[in-house]
Amino acid sequence: MTDKDFDLTRRAFLDHVLIATAGAGMSAAAPWAASAAAAEPLQRDRVRLGVIGTGDRGRTLIRNILKTRNCAVAAVCDTFEPHLAKGRALVAAGTPAFADHRAMLDAGGLDAVVIATPLDSHAPLALDAFGAGLHVWCEKAMARTIADCSAMVKQSQDSRKVLQIGHQRMFHPTYLAALKRVKAGEIGPVTQIRASWHRNTSWRRPIPPGSTDRKINWRLYRDASAGLMTELATHQLQIGSWFLDAAPTRVIGSGSICFWKDGREVYDHVALVYEYSDGRKFVYTSLLNNARYGCEEQIQGSKGTIEPELGRIYPEVPPKVLALQRMQEDVKRGHKRTIPIGGATWFPELPVTTPGELLGWGEYDETMLQFEGFGEAVRSGKPLPGMLAQAYQASVASLLGEQAMDRGEAMTWPGDLVRV
Amino acid sequence: MYVERFAAMGTRFELHLFGNADPAVARAARRAIERADDALTIHRPSPVTALNDCLLAGRPCQVDDPLLLDALVEIEAAQGLALGLFDPAADVARPGAGWGAVVFDRQAARVAASLPLAFDFGGFGKGFALDRAGDVLRDAGVASAFLCAGESSIAVIGAHPLGGGWPITIPHPLDPERTLVEFELRDEALSISSTVGAGTDAPERSPMLRPSDGSQVTAARTTVAIDRSGARGEVMSTALLVATDAQAECLLDPAQGRRFRFNFSPEPVMPAHAYEVVLQ
Repeated sequence: MTDKDFDLTRRAFLDHVLIATAGAGMSAAAPWAASAAAAEPLQRDRVRLGVIGTGDRGRTLIRNILKTRNCAVAAVCDTFEPHLAKGRALVAAGTPAFADHRAMLDAGGLDAVVIATPLDSHAPLALDAFGAGLHVWCEKAMARTIADCSAMVKQSQDSRKVLQIGHQRMFHPTYLAALKRVKAGEIGPVTQIRASWHRNTSWRRPIPPGSTDRKINWRLYRDASAGLMTELATHQLQIGSWFLDAAPTRVIGSGSICFWKDGREVYDHVALVYEYSDGRKFVYTSLLNNARYGCEEQIQGSKGTIEPELGRIYPEVPPKVLALQRMQEDVKRGHKRTIPIGGATWFPELPVTTPGELLGWGEYDETMLQFEGFGEAVRSGKPLPGMLAQAYQASVASLLGEQAMDRGEAMTWPGDLVRV
Repeated sequence: MYVERFAAMGTRFELHLFGNADPAVARAARRAIERADDALTIHRPSPVTALNDCLLAGRPCQVDDPLLLDALVEIEAAQGLALGLFDPAADVARPGAGWGAVVFDRQAARVAASLPLAFDFGGFGKGFALDRAGDVLRDAGVASAFLCAGESSIAVIGAHPLGGGWPITIPHPLDPERTLVEFELRDEALSISSTVGAGTDAPERSPMLRPSDGSQVTAARTTVAIDRSGARGEVMSTALLVATDAQAECLLDPAQGRRFRFNFSPEPVMPAHAYEVVLQ
């Protein structure tokens, strides 16, 4: 792709975001996306980012940062040398590389850090960065405990530094288009969201020489991760609260190590119900031994359903009445026959198999846009509006769900969260 | 030819427009039905639920919604015609509740009740909505249309697209190979009520109650009412279903041939009347 091609693609993408965020209710529902897309980032004076964690995810982030118009990777850091070498290979020659984040912070020359490390290290790394006077971009989920999530939010407020969490769906034109159609009342009031992330994989990675199972497969161990809840569900919990326009009030759930009995400590099967005001529900399942239903959020209202991952909207159109279909055919061929009336009026209660309608905008590059938005936030010292509140809520919801499953009892939404 | 198909009022609607059908006109008719649904539903907050909240709390209520007001006017007008056998306020859980306890001041758009009660317009809403949709289509110049709300409430506009009336047949509810009755409709609505046949055993279906004592109609019956007004057709098919034999005699009106009651119970206490047929 040439620079010109990229400029056109980028412009088209930003236009899609701006179109999707224009209209009644959208400025309040997705202010972060509108402000990120509306900004015109400068190519000079790029925001200098130090990327901590250059594993698979960290390197994906680096590739996206390199596409932005206002951010540069000014340093990379990883405790595992093979990962650091791969990260270094992506950035300009001479970019400083560190095995220790403290050394990177002490070296200076940064405006912000990007954290893409195991979950339990997010909070200490973020707090160190704030302490060094830097802004922070951190992968979701925020932290291993609700207390640490709150500490990150509090520290960003006290230090007046931007804290942005990586929830790229918040910049996704298809999700924004879906929200716009919900706000327009196209599917009626949303009373339930069914979401799932189903995979058929052990989620266990091979251990390279020089590392350990705990370091590479940290997602499978409780000291570092809440497993499916913090690594996958948190994305969808954010979508749930975003589309239901509220935080949950309560969660019940059941989790188990049901299939992969390989010494892991986190559940490979989770099923939860998050309750919202007015009886609304977010019903969630995630498992690791069946991929049939994959990853999806089914946003359900009385007039229709939206499935953003598929990018489709399904109106609640009932099946045709066969007798009336026959009447149509009769009229077309000039044949007048009696019309039978008085059969069953009940809907066949089978899944709808109609193809639905495309929400549009299948191509996207939302990870790039969230970094451009972060760059502008760092430059202005003002966080993208509304974003941190969404992320904080999603992380708390994922960890509260873990508690509900561990304790086998309903957990109410905490009343002592930091006000964002 | 154009078909608008959608879900509303807990059932499926189809609006078939013939001739130079304008989709925008069909959509306007659909919106009329959806507005009637919004006004009369008790399954989500609506003008009816607001009214019910007042009446259950023992307070009078001002009716601001014009559609709800129209519905109350039609129900009041139908009371005499239906011998009080259609009662949207009757409730087995509230003895004494019913239209007789309602004080409806049409001019002041005010409703009060002498004891706590709530309205559930049920199938009446379908006929009422079809009437509103029919008005929209006629005003737009539609000359031939077939409107269906579920498969128990229909309305036709003008002549069949191939000329003449709309030929309708009602299948036997217990034997679809047999015909119960056939007739032609022109600018009329039709309502079918039944205690037998597909769907009548569905757990979500409310039982058919007699307003007089709240008892459930257990006799195996199907009734049909044809009327210029869809709302009135719904009232009459319901009234026929719950009527005693003597009441049914008054309601059937054999001279018009637009109301039918079919008994499927073999008991000798269910004799056939004019336009009332015993089928086993």
